[in-house]
Amino acid sequence: MKKMNMKAIKALILAIVFCAVGIAGYLFHEHRTYKEAVVVSPYVTEVKKLSDYSDVVKGTVNDCNVYIFDSGVEGGTMLLYGGTHAEEPACNTAALLFTENLKVTQGKVIVIDRINTSGSTSTRMGEAYPRFYSIETPWGEKTFRFGDRAANPLDSWPDPEVYIHYPSGQSLAYVDIRNINRNWPGKKDGLLTERTAYAAMELIRQEGVDMTLDFHEAELEYAVENTIVAHEKANEIAAMTSMLLTSQVFDVAIGMEFSPTELHGLSHREIGDYSDAASMLVEVAEPLLDRIRGITDEELLLSGKDRFVMKAGEHGLLYAPIDENGWPIEKRIARHVETATTIMEVNNMLHPDRTILIEGIPSYEEIMANGPGAYYHDPSTADPAYVYYD
Amino acid sequence: MTMFVHSLLVLVTIAVVFAVAKKLRLTTELSMLVATIAAVLIHLILPQGVDPRSPLPFTEIVRHLVEGSVTYLDICLLFLTATFFMTIYKESGGVAYIVRVIVKAFHSRRIICLILLTFVMLVPGAITGSGATAVLTVGGLVSSVLVAMGVSEDRRIALIFILAAMSAACPPINLWAMMAAAGSNMPYVGFTLPLGFLSIVGALFATFYLAGKGEKVELEKALAELPEPPQGWNGLRAAVPFLLLIVIILCGRVFPANFPVVGLPLTFMLCAASVLLLSPKGVKVNVIEVACTTVKNLQGLVGVMIVVGMLNQIMTLTGARGLLSLAVVTLPVAVLYATLWIILPVAEGVLQYAVAPLFGVPLIMLFNMLGYDPIIALSTWAVMLPLGDCLPPTAVVGRAAVLELDYKGNYYKGFVKTALVPMLFILAMCTVVMIFSSEIGAIIGG
Repeated sequence: MKKMNMKAIKALILAIVFCAVGIAGYLFHEHRTYKEAVVVSPYVTEVKKLSDYSDVVKGTVNDCNVYIFDSGVEGGTMLLYGGTHAEEPACNTAALLFTENLKVTQGKVIVIDRINTSGSTSTRMGEAYPRFYSIETPWGEKTFRFGDRAANPLDSWPDPEVYIHYPSGQSLAYVDIRNINRNWPGKKDGLLTERTAYAAMELIRQEGVDMTLDFHEAELEYAVENTIVAHEKANEIAAMTSMLLTSQVFDVAIGMEFSPTELHGLSHREIGDYSDAASMLVEVAEPLLDRIRGITDEELLLSGKDRFVMKAGEHGLLYAPIDENGWPIEKRIARHVETATTIMEVNNMLHPDRTILIEGIPSYEEIMANGPGAYYHDPSTADPAYVYYD
Repeated sequence: MTMFVHSLLVLVTIAVVFAVAKKLRLTTELSMLVATIAAVLIHLILPQGVDPRSPLPFTEIVRHLVEGSVTYLDICLLFLTATFFMTIYKESGGVAYIVRVIVKAFHSRRIICLILLTFVMLVPGAITGSGATAVLTVGGLVSSVLVAMGVSEDRRIALIFILAAMSAACPPINLWAMMAAAGSNMPYVGFTLPLGFLSIVGALFATFYLAGKGEKVELEKALAELPEPPQGWNGLRAAVPFLLLIVIILCGRVFPANFPVVGLPLTFMLCAASVLLLSPKGVKVNVIEVACTTVKNLQGLVGVMIVVGMLNQIMTLTGARGLLSLAVVTLPVAVLYATLWIILPVAEGVLQYAVAPLFGVPLIMLFNMLGYDPIIALSTWAVMLPLGDCLPPTAVVGRAAVLELDYKGNYYKGFVKTALVPMLFILAMCTVVMIFSSEIGAIIGG
């Protein structure tokens, strides 16, 4: 009798486990296969794939869309890209705001919304992240995938016990072999993210890119915060952008830091070293990334309000200020968008031969007033010829 | 109700439910699982209070539990494959051969013999990052040599445990340091020297404190008590599987651009295959049986890792992890100095590897901000942490040592009490190094 009971209990537990795995499996699949619709600006001149520049990513999840806005008028070329770390949502959404609204009247702008798409197809285990987040728009909610800092292990596994960066030979934590911002300038025959960085470097070379900007967010406990990190080729532009934005636009200052020469794999270092482009990376505060955060959910992701992080701030443990207003997503996106447009303006002053003139992009104040959703377009009513999927 | 009260109530629920479950004689793994589920339930039941939060559908709760359960999948694979390899090696007589060689060569030289035994214990954990693997693979045979050297049972168990803990701390693989470094965007570079120094000094102190004195080894008696390896074993056969392991790991390091990423689990399986290929004729190992035994032996350990992953995920979801983390980093530095040596091992006993992102990352940020050398400071914590692996509720390595060596004494009054002095020495050494981390970092360039 006792034996029977034990068998029944085991069978019941097994059934519960199967149900749980089935439910979770369905949700994981839904996350991995969800497509983000992009209603590309009518002024786009070409939409390419990253594999058009190097076939090392062909057929992979990281063969992302490359949106090209070429004015046809001689000038500079800038690459803007988001999605390096899919747990930093203001980055792909800021890039998307350009993709959906940009008009270039001189020079060329290239936008990638999600450079490491694989990272957005799974969340980071142990961090209790939400799978999706939605931004209010006039036509309803626009939903995005939330993801991990590193590529999905389903796309790149196993990791080495220690990741040795190519070509510098610097040792890094094993998981960083899936972190594209530790993989630059990439490796032709490497693992997925190394190949992705390699293909992106080919894009930069083949398109004659003069400047690159990599959108990021960071925990408030992290020293590199609310700042532009610049390769030496971009120092002047970054410094002047920082001064302009701090004195005229932002309520919280944006700094400027020199890209360390000894820390390898980062976009601001390697793109500048291995191409003609002046590379920059911009950071904004995201409380969801702090380990000392409270309840982890979409609310925190979007509002950026957290009592625990505020308490840490009271103890002087943070590198960015935070109050009861938090760091809402509209502010984080607005800062990134304004930083990118100001960089272009400063570039035009410093390098008139590489002028880039743009229209259609809302200002910091406009995004703060109307919300970023006001600038995303409804794919269900858009001309299908302009609808793409990231 | 604020989020502080909410998360505090979740923490209290976890503690109470765990304690009650243990009282009802549930296993540690099941007690933690019940506490985890209780944490989710209380999170749902408690009113929202003044802080807004998103709805949490039932399916998402299931997703969080399942996702948490695979947090340490890689580490579990590492445990399983490393133990499989070492068990194959042991079953085919390789370990017995090596231990006999050590005893024969060094029976009259106790100091050298102890140093070699320390080395033998350190290697499996150093390359896998797992103290339990060290115990389950070579612990039994090292213990046999210690018996021959006249070391008492309590001291043997205590020594095997501390050496296993130090082997997990020893570079190249220190999972706590790697996880905390990755979490704070810090390259895992510059840790070899501080981790190596602290773990090797700690291991040698424990060895000589616990086994330095004893009867002179009577070679004949000692050899008689050790298992006889099958005929045909020689130095080359015994060395090749480890050489293969070293070659694969080194090739990945020396030729990273040209050598494929093999991964440690596959590396250990290749090494296991080499043992089967190179074993002397006549040695028959039932691979299926070894595989089953490996899984059975590691059931508890893997179970704990799975449930700890779930608990960590739910603690993060509910803010309980953040509250704990905040509580630690807002302590005054003087209090941290005075308490980290106890907080870290105790937290390890509760949370296992989850303690690295939980405390390690905010502590790195804090120490970095205060001007300490983050690499040296993290190294000291990463050596203190595994000492908590003999503490409840998980006590993973302590339990593995007791099971593997068939210890008959009292867990706390015998084994843990005997291990206290070397443990306190290691904790004190790490605390001093942590306090002077910036000065030491400046000297060694850490």
